[in-house]
Amino acid sequence: MTEPRIVAGRIFGGRESRCGISRSTRQRRHPLNFSAVRAALIVAFVCSVLIPSSRADNTDRAKSLSKKVMCMCGGCNDTAGTCNHTGGAFSGPCDTAKAMQKEVDDRVNRGDSDDLILQSFVQEYGPTVLPDPPKKGFTWLVWIAPVALPVFALFLIWEVVRRWRRKQELAPAGGPPISADLLDRARREVDRNDE
Amino acid sequence: MDIFGSFALLLAFLAAVYAFVAGIVGIVTRRVLLTKSARNAGMATFGLITLAVATLEYFFFTDNFSLAYVAAHSNRALPLYYKFSSLWAGQEGSLLWWSWLLSIYVFLALFLNRRRHPELMPYVGVTLAGVQIFFLTLNNFVASPFHVMAAADSAGVMHVARLSEGTGLNPLLQYPEMVIHPPMLYLGYTGFTIPFAFAMAALLGRYPGEKWIHITRRWTMVAWCFQGIGVLLGAHWAYAVLGWGGYWAWDPVENAALLPWITGTAFLHSVMMQEKRGMMKVWNVWLVFVTFMLCILGTSLTRTGIVSSVHAFAESNIGGYFFGFLALVLVVCLAAWYKNRDYLRSDNQLDSLVSRESSFLFNNLILLAACFAVLWGTLFPVISEWATGSKISVGPPFFNKVNVPIALFLLLLTGVGPLLAWRKTSVDALKRNFAWPLVGGLLAGAVAFALGWREFYPLVCLILSAFVTLTIVAEFYRGARVISARDGSNILTAVGELTMRNTRRYGGYIVHFAMVMIFIGITGSAFNRDIQKEMNIGDKLTIGPYTILCQNFDQPSTDNYESNRATLEVFRNGHSEMMLYPERRLFRTSQVTETIVAIESTVVHDLYVVYAGRTPDTNVPVIHAYLNPLVKWIWFGGIVLVLGTILAMIPDRRAALVLRAATDRPWADAAAASAVTAPLRHSSSDD
Repeated sequence: MTEPRIVAGRIFGGRESRCGISRSTRQRRHPLNFSAVRAALIVAFVCSVLIPSSRADNTDRAKSLSKKVMCMCGGCNDTAGTCNHTGGAFSGPCDTAKAMQKEVDDRVNRGDSDDLILQSFVQEYGPTVLPDPPKKGFTWLVWIAPVALPVFALFLIWEVVRRWRRKQELAPAGGPPISADLLDRARREVDRNDE
Repeated sequence: MDIFGSFALLLAFLAAVYAFVAGIVGIVTRRVLLTKSARNAGMATFGLITLAVATLEYFFFTDNFSLAYVAAHSNRALPLYYKFSSLWAGQEGSLLWWSWLLSIYVFLALFLNRRRHPELMPYVGVTLAGVQIFFLTLNNFVASPFHVMAAADSAGVMHVARLSEGTGLNPLLQYPEMVIHPPMLYLGYTGFTIPFAFAMAALLGRYPGEKWIHITRRWTMVAWCFQGIGVLLGAHWAYAVLGWGGYWAWDPVENAALLPWITGTAFLHSVMMQEKRGMMKVWNVWLVFVTFMLCILGTSLTRTGIVSSVHAFAESNIGGYFFGFLALVLVVCLAAWYKNRDYLRSDNQLDSLVSRESSFLFNNLILLAACFAVLWGTLFPVISEWATGSKISVGPPFFNKVNVPIALFLLLLTGVGPLLAWRKTSVDALKRNFAWPLVGGLLAGAVAFALGWREFYPLVCLILSAFVTLTIVAEFYRGARVISARDGSNILTAVGELTMRNTRRYGGYIVHFAMVMIFIGITGSAFNRDIQKEMNIGDKLTIGPYTILCQNFDQPSTDNYESNRATLEVFRNGHSEMMLYPERRLFRTSQVTETIVAIESTVVHDLYVVYAGRTPDTNVPVIHAYLNPLVKWIWFGGIVLVLGTILAMIPDRRAALVLRAATDRPWADAAAASAVTAPLRHSSSDD
């Protein structure tokens, strides 16, 4: 990967040296063929570097995207990318999951964006195709509630503790006065017990 | 013979009804004989349901396919141990199994306490009988496993039809763990009925003091431990059998099993607040109630088909009964609480937010947040469909996004909580207790970062795991050092002495360490790798440090199944390390296939190889290999969790010595001994 990118830098970005040959010398030697050489190099670069790289990227993207749509066979409750249907003659993605994976592959190779691909699945199957519920409308609730409820509970606890402590501060201390030494000793013993 | 089983079940139902009615009448009229009679009836249900279970097992073992249930879940070639486990393979049998396990608990609770807590036990008996009536109603009148197959002759007269062969057991259940996993899980589910009954009894009978909490805690630990084992065994089964390379898919039924375990965990922590400070009484009672209700909800989710799940039994009309019972339990709980709410007033209040009490409060809050998030995500598709008419999916990404931060916060509290003092913790104590564990945690994080860990959550999890482990080690060391200095014993002996002196506290720490191990194991999933390849003989694939060479494909078979098996040689650094034999079995009767995954498990990672069958297009065998780091830590963690729980249930050595001293005195009777022991144990347990 690194090697071809250096070559690319020489072709497009090299300011003082292009393949180690100065412009004038090159023009002198191959006045007509330079653009052809450059084009050939560009094509070679694209073929050897960009295409395999984009294929690998596309495969990863497709793999990741296929995990963002549910397998719609109705039996596995899993994503198309992770469906490993047991039963039948072949374990692994069921036909539905395979068809969905292929559709993702095709669309990725066509250059569609992630959002567009997911949207097309939503149009085809409805929102149930998304394992992540959409963060809008009623389904916002599924995301908000697990955060809002603990925060609310935390606020309640805080409030209850605050009231308790206020009540304690107001409560008159009973019994005879305790000397500072005794109080200090008691604190030390409590600390020791706590350990 | 089937009549024998049906009749035993019917008698068990009548015994439960009698235990319920006579128990109530005995409580109201204060007639001791009647309450004793009700108790005996409650215990008798165990014997009667055992007869019914034995009858059904007899049908399985003798291949008697005249019973519809046996014909649907067994066949002649099924190995004996799977014939035994076929009992709980379907709706009707699993409900009978539930009733039987519940009756064991009922028998033990009533028998072990037959001479203790005379004011409390009649209420306990009535509550248990009430729950039993519900399940025995289902066993007898809704989903009986003793329905016979019948066919009409030419004259239209019905005759018992005995099939020559059964359909067979679902292949997915033909795995050794499936003989253990459901009983463990059901022992958890049914076990939570006992704490529920004691809490309800204490509330209804306004039982004085915190005694019911002491009794309930141990029963809860038993149920909690079984539930934990059940969940982990289920995860291991999914890992080893389903062949998808994972162990947890946030399936609704998995979630349902996790919920009562979470609330049970919350209860086991908050119960200490009540024991030590007389606080959180309402909270504790409701935690027990909710845990029981979640058990009922959990089993109803499996059986009603309201949420789609790979685990679900066939859809049936049984859901109405479960939801009716759930509503009834909720009403009874609300009524009992409302009527006796003054009984649950706290003795003390929180003094400081930096204290053991507040850490328990946060712990409970976080646990309940996790419980709510899981429940909410599980039920939201149903709620959404009901509210908007459109169905949505809530899949694993949602659960991971919501629960991972919650779980990490919980892990943090696991380290912080035990080091805080009751009432209030001084800044000096905080520095003293936390400095080194914190430094150790950050150091572990720095090392992992230097080794290339860049993902946020795994890194945080590692730091917290190291932190918690060090706090636990420091706790053991500090205590052992004191004993060692005093007795002159070596540090390891002192650790043993320390642990046995306060089993509850140090057993708890071991359970915490088990959770750390499980968290480390789960963290490994962030680094899973997999590769799938069509392989002919002689082909190779490489994953991580392993190269897999395909040597052979063959078809070994038994009476029960035909198999397609790959023989793979695994090389590491050029050396042959092992042979793996992943299989796919096609079961003859049901014509269903099952994956037998080949797993080479080490402490560092699992090499997990699936024979995925042959591609439909080219008929070439496909091998799917995974490299899953740290999975073994989860299963080790499970074992440590069980050991820690057992340790926490053993009485302290100090308490045992006091009890013996008290009983040795000539004037001491059993009652006096328990009176001496109870406050002593209470004060000695410094959890």
